[in-house]
Amino acid sequence: MTIRRVGKGCGEKELFLTKAVLIIFWFTATFFSASTPIVLAQSSEASSCVTCHSDIWEEVKESIHGRQNISCHNCHGGDPTAKDKESAKGPNTGYIGIPDKKKIAETCGACHANVEVMNFYGVPTDQLARYKTSTHGKKLFLEANTKVAVCSDCHGYHDVLAITDPNSSVYPLNVPKTCNHCHGSEALMKPYGLPTDIFETYKKSVHGIALFEKKDISAATCVSCHGSHGAVPPGVKEISSACGKCHVNEKKYFLESMHAKPMAAGRFSECISCHGNHGVERASNDLYRTTCIKCHEKGSSEEKAGETIWQVFHQSGEKLKAAESSVKQASIEGIFVEEETGSLEEAKTNVIVMAPLQHSLSVERITELAAKFSEVADKITTQIHQKREALKWRKTALIPIWVFILAMAAALWVKYKRLKTERKKNQPNKTNREGEK
Amino acid sequence: MKHRLKQWFAERFDLEQLKGPVQKQLHKPLPKNISWAHTLGSMSLFLFVSQVLTGILLLIYYRPTVNEAFESVKFIMTKSYMGWLYRQIHAWGANLMLIVVFLHMLRTFITGSYKKPRELTWVFGVFLFLLTLVFGFTGYLLPWNQLAYWATTVGTEVAGAIPVLGEWIKTFLRGGFNVGGETLSRFFVVHVIILPWVLFFIVLIHLVLVRIQGIATMDPVGSEKETKPGEGTPFFPNHVLKEGVVFFILLGILITLSILTPFDLGEKADPLTTPLAIKPEWYFLPMYQVIKYFPKLVGIFVVGIGPLFLLAWPLLDKSSNRHPLHRPISMTIGILALLSLLILGTMGYFSESKRHFFGKEYDIDIYGIPHLVSSNANRRPSLFEAEKNKAPAVP
Repeated sequence: MTIRRVGKGCGEKELFLTKAVLIIFWFTATFFSASTPIVLAQSSEASSCVTCHSDIWEEVKESIHGRQNISCHNCHGGDPTAKDKESAKGPNTGYIGIPDKKKIAETCGACHANVEVMNFYGVPTDQLARYKTSTHGKKLFLEANTKVAVCSDCHGYHDVLAITDPNSSVYPLNVPKTCNHCHGSEALMKPYGLPTDIFETYKKSVHGIALFEKKDISAATCVSCHGSHGAVPPGVKEISSACGKCHVNEKKYFLESMHAKPMAAGRFSECISCHGNHGVERASNDLYRTTCIKCHEKGSSEEKAGETIWQVFHQSGEKLKAAESSVKQASIEGIFVEEETGSLEEAKTNVIVMAPLQHSLSVERITELAAKFSEVADKITTQIHQKREALKWRKTALIPIWVFILAMAAALWVKYKRLKTERKKNQPNKTNREGEK
Repeated sequence: MKHRLKQWFAERFDLEQLKGPVQKQLHKPLPKNISWAHTLGSMSLFLFVSQVLTGILLLIYYRPTVNEAFESVKFIMTKSYMGWLYRQIHAWGANLMLIVVFLHMLRTFITGSYKKPRELTWVFGVFLFLLTLVFGFTGYLLPWNQLAYWATTVGTEVAGAIPVLGEWIKTFLRGGFNVGGETLSRFFVVHVIILPWVLFFIVLIHLVLVRIQGIATMDPVGSEKETKPGEGTPFFPNHVLKEGVVFFILLGILITLSILTPFDLGEKADPLTTPLAIKPEWYFLPMYQVIKYFPKLVGIFVVGIGPLFLLAWPLLDKSSNRHPLHRPISMTIGILALLSLLILGTMGYFSESKRHFFGKEYDIDIYGIPHLVSSNANRRPSLFEAEKNKAPAVP
């Protein structure tokens, strides 16, 4: 119709526009038809499985798969178009019933390891490959150990949710509990000699507190260090990459320290040697007094270096506290402390920089930075002291001011009184003189 | 040197002719009833001069723009040499000036000095008092801090409630819909250019009238005896010495207050954050409290008739007696007015706050009525209670 009208003499511009619209429509239509997943071809509502398993369908319906119309037969096989139970689960239908663990991994992988299918959703496809490298995967595929975790143990099966859904068992807030299902079970962990109190330890750690109490989903959970699909316990060398993923500067300075060499040789487990692992607490200066002596002898130069660093941090901490309270107190007293507040921020920045720098364990560098901080902190305290002194001086100045004022007022008053008395004395004389006249 | 200077002037001006009136004014005898309270007028003048001088010093660094006003006042208070003292003396001077001018007016009222023939002196005096209040109102905004900003917002809002012209007056005062840079500009101009000159000329007229008509005696109207030369107290040096004594003490008080109880600068004005329970300066508290008890229009009318009564007072009180004990009606009205100012001011000061009196905690509502806070009940803040009380009863 449009083309006919164009042919009848419409402008060239209109012809060009019509062609452009048709081309865009064609590309859009072909693009979506080509990339739409094959599984969408079968509507779950039309599946005959639902006739008997309506309760299960209720769970599936709300899951991420249900919403994408991925139906029962995609995992369990069978013929969803068959009208009766027997023909639906018939021998030629590929019906597998409840899949075993290995089958589960393969079934999930059928789609999740298929780039063509998953590309549409923008989801990576290396989970199965990674899983096969994990301790769980190796045990399942190589040792046929069916007690290990497979996809459905962590993600659920009929009610799988997106990992970004707070109700998902693998949402960051829920990951530790999900892992603890198995790793908290003595019966399951005993054959491997693994501890079962990790969850309780983690809960009290700085990461656990951040996750559970502050609901900070960026806090490290089990998978942050151990990985998820490719879960392996990190070896000595991998710990730096595990902790260093978040603690970038600490890692950088640690690699400059004298401990980097033994770590590379596998003789020193960097972060956890001092900080611990699952129960890692907020690092305190006291670590220098408690952990150095685990490897170094008391009285050794290394232990003394640790003590020096402790001293530097302790003094800096005390100075920062003093400067902070000095600024706060001065502002309560009504002294202008804007400049000092700015300097305090500068001082705090130095202290913040000192925290990762200490991992270099370089007494020289730490002391240098502490000296910079100390200079700023001293400046703050001195300035506030001077301001307070100036206020005191103002008050003291009131004494000579009042002495002068009272002296002047008294002098004038005395003069006034004298004049008044003189006037009184003169008054009758004057009257007499006027009378005489 | 002195002689040569005198000679120089004498060759150019008729010094003898000039000397006469000056000597006359200097030695003019003041009536016998002249008291210490009669120094208050000169003290008002002294404070005005002090305000002008400290004001000029503040102007060296002050910048009347939204972005710089607060910072420049902070600079004056922290960086400039003795700037803190000038600012404090200016701020305290303003408060003391209001007190002294008011006391001067009260003395005039008590001694009946406003009566014939000095009615105009009184009228100009009332104008001076009102101008001092406007000085306070305009100057309060200039540091551009939170309290200043919101007090001005509320103050100009009150003007907006005046029938017919209200909205126009509000916009005229603010220089726009809201208090902002334009308001700061015009308040600045009014405070440092217009008001000082207007005040200067009115002070001049007021003083000329005082000098021409002389200080009132306590004699009834019509039977005033002129103080002859040689009688009474000479203006110079006797009365000037007295003024000197009061001047030094006032100066001492001014400096002491500036040092011991300095005015805070507070936080910079933030049009997006309204502080809780904004109150005007103490001298506007009685007016602020009165407005609360009446619907907007009636409140403004009640507040407005105060100054009108003051201005018209010499015309309303035509009795000839000046002695306070012989003017029972005038004095009763005066005392009642003074008491109501004190009570309303106190209620305004305490309203919307929690206070401890005689060991018990009281929640004082918006109307200044104290409510005993029971020990176990969690009372709602007074502001909300007031809102509840304010709500009209359901018929």
